Amino acid sequence: MKKIDAHCHVARRSDGSSRGWTNADLVEAADKLGIDKLLCSTPVSGGQPTMDVVRKCNNITYEAMKEYPDKILGYAFVNPGYFTESIEEVERCVKELGMIGIKLYNQYRADEPVVLPLIRKAAEMQIPVLWHAGHPPSPEEALRWGQPRISDGVHIAALARKVPDAILIHGHIGGGGDWEWGIKALRNVPNVYVDTSGSVVDEGMVEMCVKYLGAERVLFATDLSMEAGVGKILGADLTDEERELIFWKNMDRILRRRKV
Amino acid sequence: MIIDASTYIGHWPFRRLRYNTAEGLVTLMDRNGIDKAVVSSINAVFYKNCQEGNEELVEEIEPYRDRLIPFATLNPKYVAWREDLERCVKDLGMKGLRLYPLYHNYGLLERESRELLSEAAKMRLPIEIPVMLVDPRQRHWMDVDRTLPLNQILETAKRHPENVFIVLNVKDVSPIIEGEQPVPKNVYVEMSRLTAVLTKSIQALISRIGVERVVFGTGMPFHYAKPALLKMEILDIEEEAKEAIYWKNIAKLLGLNVD
Repeated sequence: MKKIDAHCHVARRSDGSSRGWTNADLVEAADKLGIDKLLCSTPVSGGQPTMDVVRKCNNITYEAMKEYPDKILGYAFVNPGYFTESIEEVERCVKELGMIGIKLYNQYRADEPVVLPLIRKAAEMQIPVLWHAGHPPSPEEALRWGQPRISDGVHIAALARKVPDAILIHGHIGGGGDWEWGIKALRNVPNVYVDTSGSVVDEGMVEMCVKYLGAERVLFATDLSMEAGVGKILGADLTDEERELIFWKNMDRILRRRKV
Repeated sequence: MIIDASTYIGHWPFRRLRYNTAEGLVTLMDRNGIDKAVVSSINAVFYKNCQEGNEELVEEIEPYRDRLIPFATLNPKYVAWREDLERCVKDLGMKGLRLYPLYHNYGLLERESRELLSEAAKMRLPIEIPVMLVDPRQRHWMDVDRTLPLNQILETAKRHPENVFIVLNVKDVSPIIEGEQPVPKNVYVEMSRLTAVLTKSIQALISRIGVERVVFGTGMPFHYAKPALLKMEILDIEEEAKEAIYWKNIAKLLGLNVD
């Protein structure tokens, strides 16, 4: 069965350092697991990166896209605090470099007004916005994670209601936060998808996504937990139709909506 | 043949588990081609008197004794654990122990632990230690807020060379792979949370401690079994080495004759 990994990363980090493996290793791993496309980004995971840093991140992603044009697709990472400049960078990445969407990290929470111009632009272009997300056990824990502005399902739902034609993806429901919280929060916002990536392989997680959101709003992804990502979809109690929607059809449909 | 070193039955207070009965666990095993499994009681983690959880476990798995291998949960700081240990082994036929120092609020290096380990060694019981039951990043507000440091298990193993320790549900094996000290030879690692691609922590572990000290596990019914099975499937090692991980290593530790 075809597979599109909706949330992945390339071999170099935002500071240019290596993760300890190469893009060739990433592609080899994907081939072993039957993953056809890897939707990758290079985000900065803390602080407020300048436009210069952001452009370097996107150039790292673009290098990997050029290295494996049939396998690696890119999301443009931006810092929404740069308003017009961040929109211009998205346009550069999408129109000139051929990227397919936007990746946002924890620089701002999804319910902060500062993100609205960028999200409205994404809605206009009908490109997906993948948001690093998770619900920590407490605000103190979020601080300990170094992520006081991490978005959870409630924040993303609030944004989705403000921009109902935006295509939003709650990142890594299996990324370590309270996934039951995330899934429940998104029940009544049809323009938000969840991706199933992360190292957490809790039995019943994918089934709960399908029960609360419908299989049409669930996207297979790994976030570099490659075997966990594929294994949890293979292991879940799903029909073949549901598994196919999750593994690739939903993401394929999202990619076909782009107006660029 | 596949033997799962890491399964559970019972009620988890913080999330609804499915397949958490003996019948449910065997259903998952059948679905995933797993022949036998080491199992312990989740209830025993939360009862003050763990022994009632052990008794429940043995009653429930009675129809499946050819498939399910019971391990006792004991708390060395709770009264009469010696009597419980004796009953678990001699009357209930339990084959090893699972310890939860964080849930039972003790340290592995404390006096009571030393005494329990000494008794377990005399009975030749392997000790399984899950470093966590669920990822603490998603924990319930009443659950423990950290994982058991792997270094604490390594130090305990060093001080108790007569015991066998099997580390369960561990994601970060860097203290073993990158540690400067030799890894105690009585430490085994269950592989379900490690990786076969990219960082390749399973291969790194094998290089460091040898394939004979890695065992297969899933963490059912907390976890899907497929991720662990997929890791084994794509692992780039000889078939003979895979057989060792799938069942031979744990069978030897348990004294099982499954040929």
